Amino acid sequence: MNAIEVENLSRTFNDLKAVDNISFSVQAGEIFGFLGHNGAGKTTTIRMLSGQLLPTSGRGQVAGCDVVSEQKRLKPLIGVVSEHQNLYERMSGRENLEFAARLYGQTNRRVDEALEQVDLLERAKDKVKNYSNGMKQRLLIARALLHRPKIVFLDEPTRGLDPVVGREIRRLIVDLSNEGVTIFLTTHYMEEADQLCGRVAFLSEGRIVALDTPSHLKIKHGENLVKVTLDNGDNLKISLDDQDAGKKLQTLISEGQVRSLHSAEATLEEVFIRIAGRELTE
Amino acid sequence: MNTGVVAAITRKDIIDAIRHRYLLTAIITPLFVALLFRVLLPGGSTRNVLSVVVHDSGKSVMTATLRKTPQVSVVEATSADATVSEVEKRGALGGLVVPANFDADVRAGKQPELTIYVNNKKSSFEQTAFRRLVDQLVDSLVQRPAPARLVWIDVERDFDQPTRRAPALDQLLLPLLLIMTFGMTGALVVPLLLVEEKEKRTLDFLLASPAGLKEIITGKALTGIVYSVLIAGLLLGINRQLVRNWPLTLLTILLGMLLVVAVGLFIGSLLNNTMQVNTWASSVLLVLLVPSFPSLGLPSAVDTAMRLVPTYYLNEALKLALAGGVSSRIWFHLMVVFLCAVAAFSGAALFLRRRNG
Repeated sequence: MNAIEVENLSRTFNDLKAVDNISFSVQAGEIFGFLGHNGAGKTTTIRMLSGQLLPTSGRGQVAGCDVVSEQKRLKPLIGVVSEHQNLYERMSGRENLEFAARLYGQTNRRVDEALEQVDLLERAKDKVKNYSNGMKQRLLIARALLHRPKIVFLDEPTRGLDPVVGREIRRLIVDLSNEGVTIFLTTHYMEEADQLCGRVAFLSEGRIVALDTPSHLKIKHGENLVKVTLDNGDNLKISLDDQDAGKKLQTLISEGQVRSLHSAEATLEEVFIRIAGRELTE
Repeated sequence: MNTGVVAAITRKDIIDAIRHRYLLTAIITPLFVALLFRVLLPGGSTRNVLSVVVHDSGKSVMTATLRKTPQVSVVEATSADATVSEVEKRGALGGLVVPANFDADVRAGKQPELTIYVNNKKSSFEQTAFRRLVDQLVDSLVQRPAPARLVWIDVERDFDQPTRRAPALDQLLLPLLLIMTFGMTGALVVPLLLVEEKEKRTLDFLLASPAGLKEIITGKALTGIVYSVLIAGLLLGINRQLVRNWPLTLLTILLGMLLVVAVGLFIGSLLNNTMQVNTWASSVLLVLLVPSFPSLGLPSAVDTAMRLVPTYYLNEALKLALAGGVSSRIWFHLMVVFLCAVAAFSGAALFLRRRNG
């Protein structure tokens, strides 16, 4: 059974179509990347799928629950990490989690476990306003995981974090996936999506313009080339679509002219630019 | 409605409000104002006990009558000279120096001299009351019937109500302080708590959790009510001698709290950041408080305009409830307060639902 199923989902704000008739499904345990520019409709989609916002039309089913009519059943099954660090800053880390535990009917023991999981047990008594960005992000993740959800929505979880914390969070995401938790991830970082996601959807102006595994997208939309650097310093590009490509390569190698050989597969970012028409960071 | 979730939100907000200096100040301001008035007007809340200093060397019937008079406290002075200093020291209404054989001399028609000291620091109303009291006491000595039975009627009084004396300052201040309490917690603290959830995006977290709009609104409302109950309870405790009808006063207070909390939720549902709340809620607070200001002889047009403010009816109901009057008018005032509270709650729910929908 699919963890998430979306059919013709749309959301309009006044005359603006934030999400325009999107359809996709996410398998249980999958890490699904949802990539797009700012304002492409990623967060709106998450808000609709997590019961924070009603769709204008279409249908969404998350963990077997309709996102409109079965919100009460749905909410304990999902966890959401917002793109904003929406924590109660005058409260301590522990108090934030204790409040969440009360909302979800969890015990204080579970609070300790969640704090331990994100390595914040020692700083649990500190006020959140004194936390670093990385600590706040880890606390957000702990809060989203507190009630052991089946599906976690992560909206830009590594944005603005230093590389070390970013790596920790990516490791946590992989661990969750290995435990069978479905991850719905939005990110600006294409390498992150490439590294983590089983499949990615490219969203542009509210529409899904591509959906596939990163490797398929790169093959499909990238150039089928081999880059050859010769001993004399010259660079050659040999198209693998060329019938003589194998012969050419064989000749260069046998003549001992080749210093290095690389596939010229496009990056996910290049594929995105090709499909969406502009860079992700624009 | 998930009561566990409501309790969690209420608990969180109660603790969070104390940690927010601005909110804490707003919550305790009415209590601070009440204590300030007690310091500035120490006699204010003991209006019903009139302190009179007496030096009576002859054990006059007049002094005995004075002692039996309800709401009069007699302080004995050791000498005629000590009477003045006792009046000043105790802040008494006045003093009497009753000469020896006063009663016998009165009966004999000798017109003995009775020295009366009047404390000029007291209000003119209290001084008049004291003079009238002494007149009555002296008249009572000759034991003759009153030449006429006087019927005093207040012009423009509410004829459903029994005739009552003009209210003292603290009787006017208590409704004002109670409405200020509801206003500070309901119209200022509640919208700030709600708007802060929007501003800091924690509302998104709540909406993604098992908390729905109903639970969030109820939790915020309960936070306002808890603080209102606490401060209003302390105000009533300090001024308990002013409450003549406790059940009606408590009912009025409950409806008043609901009204102002609902107004606060409505403000919070409309606005999006704390700066907007600070600007608008202060104006709303002022409008809510104006009808409870002691009358300044404002033109009738202003008085009519006041009737458009729901707290006008709350203030009227509070005054009647505190004075112990049960009449059709108080039920009318309470009904207006209740209906306005329902309207404000509905408005808040509608605007928040729109935001979500």
